[in-house]
Amino acid sequence: MTAVPALAAPPAFSRVWNVVRLHMISKNTFIVIPWLIIAGATVVSLVIPALLAYNGVSRADISEGAVNSWAVLSPMWYLCAVAVLAIAQFFPFSLGFGVTRRDFYLGTSLVFLISAIATGAVLATLGEIETATDGWGLGARMYTALFFDQGSWIANFFLFTVIQLGILFVGAAIATVYMRWRMWGMLVFWLGSVVVIVVGISAITFSNSWTLVGETLASLGVMGVFAWTLVPIALAAFAGFFILRRATPKN
Amino acid sequence: MSTIIEARGLTKRFGSFTAVDDVSFTVEENRIYGLLGRNGAGKTTIMQLLTGQDFATDGSVSVYGQSPVENSRVLSNVSFIKESQKYPDGIRAKHVFAAAPNFYGNWNPELAEELIAEFRIPLNRDIKKLSRGQVSAVGVVVGLASRAPITFFDEPYLGLDAVARQLFYDRLLEDYALFPRTVILSTHLIDEVSDLLEHVILVDEGRILIDTPAEELRGSASTVVGKRVDVAAFVAGREIIHTDGIGGLASVTITGQLSPAERAAATAAGLELAPVSLQQLIVRLSSHESMEGTEL
Repeated sequence: MTAVPALAAPPAFSRVWNVVRLHMISKNTFIVIPWLIIAGATVVSLVIPALLAYNGVSRADISEGAVNSWAVLSPMWYLCAVAVLAIAQFFPFSLGFGVTRRDFYLGTSLVFLISAIATGAVLATLGEIETATDGWGLGARMYTALFFDQGSWIANFFLFTVIQLGILFVGAAIATVYMRWRMWGMLVFWLGSVVVIVVGISAITFSNSWTLVGETLASLGVMGVFAWTLVPIALAAFAGFFILRRATPKN
Repeated sequence: MSTIIEARGLTKRFGSFTAVDDVSFTVEENRIYGLLGRNGAGKTTIMQLLTGQDFATDGSVSVYGQSPVENSRVLSNVSFIKESQKYPDGIRAKHVFAAAPNFYGNWNPELAEELIAEFRIPLNRDIKKLSRGQVSAVGVVVGLASRAPITFFDEPYLGLDAVARQLFYDRLLEDYALFPRTVILSTHLIDEVSDLLEHVILVDEGRILIDTPAEELRGSASTVVGKRVDVAAFVAGREIIHTDGIGGLASVTITGQLSPAERAAATAAGLELAPVSLQQLIVRLSSHESMEGTEL
């Protein structure tokens, strides 16, 4: 006679949501540290224009120079580590709680999505404020630097969100390669990537297509290029899922 | 009795190394099993296969009649506490205990609180900064307080001092009496748990050597000590699992129950009969294969 399960499994969504809560259990990773980095970058982005203004540089010049500030991207490097650790450390941790690989991956993806959308919304809003206050009254530009000045909240929100999704899902997919195939997987993956990049660059160069590439990118515009990157991001997300389905939480 | 776990022809190979070699056994509901064996015998791998954490190369595992792999219906009923459990950076014991109720339907917060106090677990320190024993205690508390219908403990005592280990055994037995469940415990400290175990599965080099109720195992061997010739005469025709001796004295461990008449005969022949503890028996049996061929 076979025993019957004493406990029923929770419904699918609550199992996935449990993984989300597990990721969020320490608020540092997705909330405290990214915003500390942003706050630090903001302070630097405001102090420098203040110093320049004190030395008689005009507000227009300050604003023009600050367009190239990468300050708003500073938390993105950290996100790369977050993505890797979300897989490398939380996969064995979650399986220790009897979570299936499927629920773990879906929950982790949901955390990425929520985090990218929430942060994107706040960054785009800060950009609006920056524009409205003429660079915080200093001509400073941080949230509207680079190409994050598409003229509408929704467009800037889209850019910020896509960048984060890209970093999170590509970082996570690389981590799943490690979880599944360990060092050899990493070796093959990075060598393969280098080969693909070199072959791609060579193909464009030898077919004299750089102008064409440039024109295509220009015609797509910033929004078009970012919209297209959603395709490789989605591919990375799917790849991560299928790679992790057969991974084991071993040391 | 109903079967809760069944392994048939279970095999796991890592490259050319066979960690688990064509193993078949069943686990009955609501009993305490000891999964015993030397380092590298395949205990952890078997547990990982039973909990769907690893994939079998060959054979099958069924838990509640289903494969445990990616099966939340099964895994919701399982708590697997392993010595090698890794915790993410920045996670504290309080985080683990806060998360656990989401995953274990039978989680008992009062029991968890009592155990945390008894094991003196620092709740607010990063788990990576805890001592080995404190990390083990976190696992032990999760394993006990989860009250999962199937609970696996894979060498859960690493670094725990004698007091904490005794506490673990006492609380396990106490809570098991209140809430019967299936417990599978792998350990090296066989003497410490021998009273706890109801069934013993002994593995060596990926194969099962013993799969027997502990009660049967306890009286199943004796050591005969005395003059070499007398001992040899007494043990003739019996299965010998260990031989030892100095000069004219011999100490021979034999399997099989001894009748009162046989015991009397041994005493009359000036021989001493000593019981063999579970640990000794397992040490003898695990090293038996390399002993074969040794003559008295």
